[in-house]
Amino acid sequence: MTDSAAGSIYDLGYRNYDGIRLGRRHAIWALYLHSLRGVFGIGRSFWAKAGPIGITILAFLPAILQLGIGALATQEVNIFEPEEYYRLIQVLLAVFCAIGAPELVGRDQRTKTLSLYFSRALRRQDYALGKFAAMLTGMLSITLLPQLLMFVGKAVTGDDFGDYLRDNWEDLPAIVGSALLLSSLFAGIGLLIASQTSRRAYSTIGILAAFVLTFAIAEAIFHSADEDVGKFVLLVSPFHVFEGLTLWFFDVSPDPDRRRAMVDLPGIVFVLEAIALSSLLLALLIRRYERISA
Amino acid sequence: MPLIRTEQLTKRYATVTALDSLDLELESGIIGLVGANGAGKSTLIKLLLGLLDPTSGKGEVMGLDVSRQGPELRQFVGYMPEHDCLPTDVSATEFVSHMAQISGLPHAAARDRTAETLRHVGLFEERYREIKGYSTGMKQRVKLAQALVHDPRLMLLDEPTNGLDPEGREEMLTLIRRIGTEFGIAIILSSHLLSEIERVCDHLIEIEDGRLIRSSPMAELTAPTRVLAIEVDGGRRKLADRLEAAGISVTESGRVLLVQKDDDSLLDIVRDAVVELDLGLVRLEQSRRRLEELFEPATLTAQDDSNG
Repeated sequence: MTDSAAGSIYDLGYRNYDGIRLGRRHAIWALYLHSLRGVFGIGRSFWAKAGPIGITILAFLPAILQLGIGALATQEVNIFEPEEYYRLIQVLLAVFCAIGAPELVGRDQRTKTLSLYFSRALRRQDYALGKFAAMLTGMLSITLLPQLLMFVGKAVTGDDFGDYLRDNWEDLPAIVGSALLLSSLFAGIGLLIASQTSRRAYSTIGILAAFVLTFAIAEAIFHSADEDVGKFVLLVSPFHVFEGLTLWFFDVSPDPDRRRAMVDLPGIVFVLEAIALSSLLLALLIRRYERISA
Repeated sequence: MPLIRTEQLTKRYATVTALDSLDLELESGIIGLVGANGAGKSTLIKLLLGLLDPTSGKGEVMGLDVSRQGPELRQFVGYMPEHDCLPTDVSATEFVSHMAQISGLPHAAARDRTAETLRHVGLFEERYREIKGYSTGMKQRVKLAQALVHDPRLMLLDEPTNGLDPEGREEMLTLIRRIGTEFGIAIILSSHLLSEIERVCDHLIEIEDGRLIRSSPMAELTAPTRVLAIEVDGGRRKLADRLEAAGISVTESGRVLLVQKDDDSLLDIVRDAVVELDLGLVRLEQSRRRLEELFEPATLTAQDDSNG
């Protein structure tokens, strides 16, 4: 029988819940917040936090260095330009994605908690959307935030706050636009791969491969094949795609030595590809959760 | 409005028909769902939750369509799956409270109700520890708690005593009975153990090969039979002879004599016979049917191993 001693002390009788029920929107919001905490390992063990938070700190490092040196120097010093930021931390972006995405979606599959989500005030596509939004936010925190920090920091430490804003305001939409597209692309790739298996190791390796292998293959073909083929090969590699779209947003011409082909391909091509690819990845992710058995 | 109504509800897979044109109308209560493994119990539960889409037909729970009004309906439904479904590296408190919010409860209400619900299912200090350290019994309690935390109007419990030892089983059944009676929540309890259903439920549905075999109130199924059981102190044989001499057919079953009772005059005959033979009458009762007698042993695992 039930523990009668404990029962008599704690049993206050059952109370019905007469309060408000917030339904589907609240459920999605709660899933989003919970998942966002999951991306950074908040509420979990030290080791679960170590990876994502360590990477976040590293991703901010260039911005902090730039601001520190800028503050000490007597004249304006730019170690690097905003459009170069993502290239500096591109490996960190990929690793963050490869750690975070399996954590976000693989766990629920591994522990079969999906059945509990799908039997609540959610639709299956809501689950996919909530997870995507959380991963996107996670990515934005290491793309958009350091860029914004650098922008604001430069403005504050510069000679004249107003002048800096007047001269550089065009960087703001470029920062937001490039960060949004880049982050959607990474979130989509990471989640779609991670949602295929409940094994964390497989999805982590799969996501890293999606970035690194495509990059290596694109580079190899680009250098060996003739120019007409080579320039299109760059479109299959996410690293190249985000570099192309970032240059377009900041209205900068690509360095002719590093990426000859980009001179030929208009930057807008990379932007459009990123939009199309992110949408496709999100659609596939939704489809995956509409079909997965739970 | 009935609690559950299905019309020609069908679920077909490539090679098997898991549920075949099920017509069902159930009123609120504690409803037992019996059937062998693979009979379609879990399929029915998942269809009612909208976890599966029906191949054809439709289902309504509390007047809401299970396929089209899922999120709205599921705010008021709790589900305890048969399989493991708990994350390992969070505490019961954190997990159950999160699940309450996914059912639509605001943050503060989710917290409050989590504390209460975990108390009701019998989880105390351990609720702050990570779930991976829990025993099977504790995990089953967490599974029950997440299905109860949002105060649903209906709970679907799929084999809730799976993997529990006799004591844990007993506690779980007591708890489920309480939820159904004191808490006033309708329950569908699936089990392959008839003894469990008999103990807890008011109504029984039997499914076999995806078809509905029976749906009736428990009281009807275990109604008094027309058999009278007589137990006397010694002289059982003498009494049997006396009754047979009076033209009544008697069956001996262990220490009990079973007599077909056609009308009340039989009671007088038995009484007189006992007095005349000067025997001590220990028991004279109309026996009730046991649920297990209704089922063929091959269909179900009917052995009573739950009352340990």
